[in-house]
Amino acid sequence: MVFNSLEFFIFLPTVFVLYWFVFKKHLKAQNILILVASYVFYGLWDWRFLSLILLSTLVDYYVAIKIDSLEEKSKRKSWLWVSVIFNVGLLGFFKYYNFFVDSWVDMVSLFGYEMKSTWTLRVILPVGISFYTFQTMSYSFDVYYKKLKPTTDFLSFAAFVSFFPQLVAGPIERASNLLSQILNKRRFSYDQTVSGLKLILWGLFKKVVIADALAPMVDDIFTNYSSYPASTLVLGVTMFSFQVYGDFSGYSDIAIGTAKLFGVELMSNFNFPNFSRNVAEYWQRWHISLSTWFRHYVYIPLGGSKVSKLKSIRNICIVFLVSGFWHGANWTFIFWGGFHALAFIPVFLMGRNTIYKDSVVGENTFFPTLTELGQVLLTFGIVTFSRIFFRSESITSAFGFINRIFTDFSYGTYNHPMGYRMIDYYILIILFVIYEYIIRKDERSPFKFKSKGVRFVIYTIVILSMLLFYDSNIDRSFIYFQF
Amino acid sequence: MKKLVVNLILYSILIVFSLEILVRIFHLTKDYPVRYVDEFGVEKWKPNQNGYSVTGNRRQNFSEYHINKFGYNSYREFNPSRDKVEIALVGDSFIEGFHQNYYNSIGKKIENKLNGVEVYEYGYAGYDLADQLHLIDQYKEQFNLIDYVVLGIKFENDFTRGEYNVVEERMVLESPAYKAMRQFKLLVYLQNIGAFDNPRELIGKILSREVDDAHKLTKIEEEKNQKKLVHKYIENFESLINIYGFDKAKFIFLLDSEKTPQTFLDFLNKHQFKYLDFSEALKKSKTPTTLIYDMHWNNHGRSIIAKLITDYIKINIKKKQIIF
Repeated sequence: MVFNSLEFFIFLPTVFVLYWFVFKKHLKAQNILILVASYVFYGLWDWRFLSLILLSTLVDYYVAIKIDSLEEKSKRKSWLWVSVIFNVGLLGFFKYYNFFVDSWVDMVSLFGYEMKSTWTLRVILPVGISFYTFQTMSYSFDVYYKKLKPTTDFLSFAAFVSFFPQLVAGPIERASNLLSQILNKRRFSYDQTVSGLKLILWGLFKKVVIADALAPMVDDIFTNYSSYPASTLVLGVTMFSFQVYGDFSGYSDIAIGTAKLFGVELMSNFNFPNFSRNVAEYWQRWHISLSTWFRHYVYIPLGGSKVSKLKSIRNICIVFLVSGFWHGANWTFIFWGGFHALAFIPVFLMGRNTIYKDSVVGENTFFPTLTELGQVLLTFGIVTFSRIFFRSESITSAFGFINRIFTDFSYGTYNHPMGYRMIDYYILIILFVIYEYIIRKDERSPFKFKSKGVRFVIYTIVILSMLLFYDSNIDRSFIYFQF
Repeated sequence: MKKLVVNLILYSILIVFSLEILVRIFHLTKDYPVRYVDEFGVEKWKPNQNGYSVTGNRRQNFSEYHINKFGYNSYREFNPSRDKVEIALVGDSFIEGFHQNYYNSIGKKIENKLNGVEVYEYGYAGYDLADQLHLIDQYKEQFNLIDYVVLGIKFENDFTRGEYNVVEERMVLESPAYKAMRQFKLLVYLQNIGAFDNPRELIGKILSREVDDAHKLTKIEEEKNQKKLVHKYIENFESLINIYGFDKAKFIFLLDSEKTPQTFLDFLNKHQFKYLDFSEALKKSKTPTTLIYDMHWNNHGRSIIAKLITDYIKINIKKKQIIF
């Protein structure tokens, strides 16, 4: 089931009513409801893969208890490895097996040996596997690092792993935040529910109006890049930047908003990354839950920045390459990760990687300074350029795309593949950027205006825009489901 | 919780109300002309109506229509006489042309090419061969004065019945309930942009699951059924011809041979029914011939059809002294 489907709009109010009206007084019953609803939510996509979620839940539930019961560090570590090997193994098999086989065959052929790729399997990638395996692993890590006491309430733990608002595409929650909320009584709050509904509305807008509207053009340009002039390729990758942002941040907003309806606060996953002033700030604002995960469980254990500069650079490279690989079993993602590492290192060496941590562009004024504007445009340009790797089908296509931009620069007007007016989309993007700039100081309140009248006008415009750009023929799945 | 429910209802009502106003201000949805069945049992539009046809979420296609005194969308009135050359285009929505300005129809395009010729467009969405022949039969006097009659047909839709009667399903659209619903422009707009497709599909899926499983046909059975259907349609065609007659010298079909079974084309050839095939002409076009939001011909598509008819008329016209 996906958030932007009719099924979800029947499912969500049903679960909401049961949760607050029928099971309101019993925490355990509410948690069982969350668990059942989550399994139904996932099972409607493919019920067979529920077994993987259950298995992952069982393993980490048991591993955490085991780790906690042991004092000896080596034994604790051994049990931690059980969790890591199991979860990474699960990911490895379902997500990376064919990639490794194919890469091995390709590598051997480089040395002149011909080998047929007969070991590849027809493996279906279970939706959300990268997200829930990381979430369960983080639980075992936290117990291992003694940041958390393991729970003995299996049903609540299972509800934490499979919590449907964030099950298939995050935010990747840490147990210290989500599990603790699931274990404690939730109270209905009018403000929290309204805030959740607003986030759902804003998330839907980003998905339906921004991401889905741009998708046909992006698909067309990336598929037929060899027949388009360079100006169109630049347009295509810029549109992809907005598409992927609208798609993923839209999903996250709906997830966070949905969780709020059940009295649960999830962590923010996006904080206006398009207004970042350098690549480091961008990574503090884009897919925050994944960046946080890698910082806590990879970067810091490797020594983080508290080691020599050279080792820190090594750590940065590892984090970005692994992060790229996490996105998908394709060299394009590894190049994408590598590119970001290269863009991040100079910022790190100049000591500017944390300077924008607690501020936003135009912090004390409404308009940004010229310097800030330049920084934002440069960062957006770098990030957008990296997305050529992210979006291309293969590394050859990515380099073909780049090559065409730099060696054959020409201009040509682009026509929508279905013949729609292009001006509509240009206006849409400009207005979206302006609006996001206005609300840039609070990612969790997209409609934070004092006047009720202004808020009402904006709700109406948002809903009208969704109608104006709605297309019943478009594939409406979310991009990050494939990861 | 009570506050939430009250506010949700209140906001929903206000937003729906605002959207209704916006849809009306920006004219985002189409107008519906009134239909009726005249004293001869012919279904058509109430005379002398004007309005706008809109397609696409963002009014991508916006065109005015004008229903003339006879009840069809046309810039001209139908006044055939013996001393002029007239062509009648009879057909469904493709001839009706609500998706184009009524001054830019196929008929007008033909008139621009054939000096002095008048083209009468008897187009009505959903007209099949039974509707068309019944119309011609009921208005014999008018059609007797018309020199050429082009009948637009689509095999899969237009031969489903062997005798004429008023299509009640279409006339239901004139019932008070439907009329009232059409006053709610937001609802019309939502329907037009396909917002109800998913709920309909979902309900359809739920209802048809068992039926589908029980009635799954093999490929051979499907082919057999298809053959049977073609024969049935040809029988319907013969039945209609027997009832209403068919002037082979004056009448000509306009069809797409790619969407017409070979059996039927052979039948037409064998019995010397003339037809104009637009399949090749549209296929040859390098630019799109249909609209973005639906399958109707766009301006270019209509020009191609007009040229096809014009060429045919030019070749066949003999009786009048007209300079082309």
